[in-house]
Amino acid sequence: MTFKLDALFDSPEKRYLDANDLNVLSQYVSSIPERVTVYRTLRDQEVTIMQEVANTLQQQSGQPDPLIERSIRNGLMVMRYVAMAMLLDDQGFVEERLRGWLPEIVKAYETQPLDRQLFQLLAQKLATVLTPAQLHLLKPSLEKAQATMFETRETVASPVASLV
Amino acid sequence: MVSVADLLIDGRLPGNYFAHDLYVRGSTELGLLENRRGDRLLAIPEPLLQAIYAGLERETGQASKLVLYNCGRWWGKNFYARFCEELHDYFNQPLADLSMAEFLQSLQQCWKTHGWGQIHMDVTYRDKGFIGVEIWHSAFTAFAPKSQTPSGDLERGILEIFFSQLTGRELRCMQTSCTSKGDDCNRFVLGLEKRLEIVEPMVIQGQSHQSIMQALIQQ
Repeated sequence: MTFKLDALFDSPEKRYLDANDLNVLSQYVSSIPERVTVYRTLRDQEVTIMQEVANTLQQQSGQPDPLIERSIRNGLMVMRYVAMAMLLDDQGFVEERLRGWLPEIVKAYETQPLDRQLFQLLAQKLATVLTPAQLHLLKPSLEKAQATMFETRETVASPVASLV
Repeated sequence: MVSVADLLIDGRLPGNYFAHDLYVRGSTELGLLENRRGDRLLAIPEPLLQAIYAGLERETGQASKLVLYNCGRWWGKNFYARFCEELHDYFNQPLADLSMAEFLQSLQQCWKTHGWGQIHMDVTYRDKGFIGVEIWHSAFTAFAPKSQTPSGDLERGILEIFFSQLTGRELRCMQTSCTSKGDDCNRFVLGLEKRLEIVEPMVIQGQSHQSIMQALIQQ
């Protein structure tokens, strides 16, 4: 697991944690109850939130169902990693788990425009179920996830499917 | 109407099975490194790889490339079977239902997580019946003796078997560029044996990957 606080836990062989380190730790600890609340909301309303997004996306984009489904699946996956990253307060988690996987899948199925639209709708929807402070907790990992998702550095092109 | 609930079969959303922080585990107190299924993994030290090359060269000379190639084929055959089994178990669906994008993306991630380098498929020439494969940062050729001709024979063997089994056709694999002769990465081309005949003499002459590919598509 990648965890922002890992660096702190690595230090016993060097020294005791200083006041700054302990401050980082207690800030994180005191934010946990709110993080758990947000996590629960996202978990319990996963289908409801995404169904609304899916309905609007379908109406607005007029794209065929399989493509919408593909994009929704991406959205669901991203949100699960984002929720976990928010719980851990670690944007690196999102990047680490999604990089090298989701960007390629997005590229292969050519869902980029749809995915962008989905994330706009999702942001609107999240603003109605979460408070601004809660959204603030989610924001860094959500932004990181989107940046990761649309960044392709590797090359597996979709036409590979026609090889076999 | 798209139903989100229907998309979540068993509530699972399979993704990157080979994510390195999930894939590599181990019972370190027993001295075991393992993958997430409990199969044993092994870290190979650089001097051991060098020793294998040196030992083969001393004992078998010219034949050492052939030995490595055959080792690669053996490895590739088992690797393909295990790779498919792992994906089948993880995605919980017949492999035939898995999209090619997910399959090849898993291969890339698998390669990377094992520390074998970055593997990329080049589909530019697919209409002509060739599959290109690039391997960057290969550990296998990084420690091979410097040479005028490519020395990625292990990888050539693995790729040949892997893609033959994947496509269900008897493919040949030729290496057209290699880090051990100063190229930026290892490049391979896969295709039917008859259509790759012109490659070997060109490789021996030291022709570049681009000119070999050019000649291949013009034949």
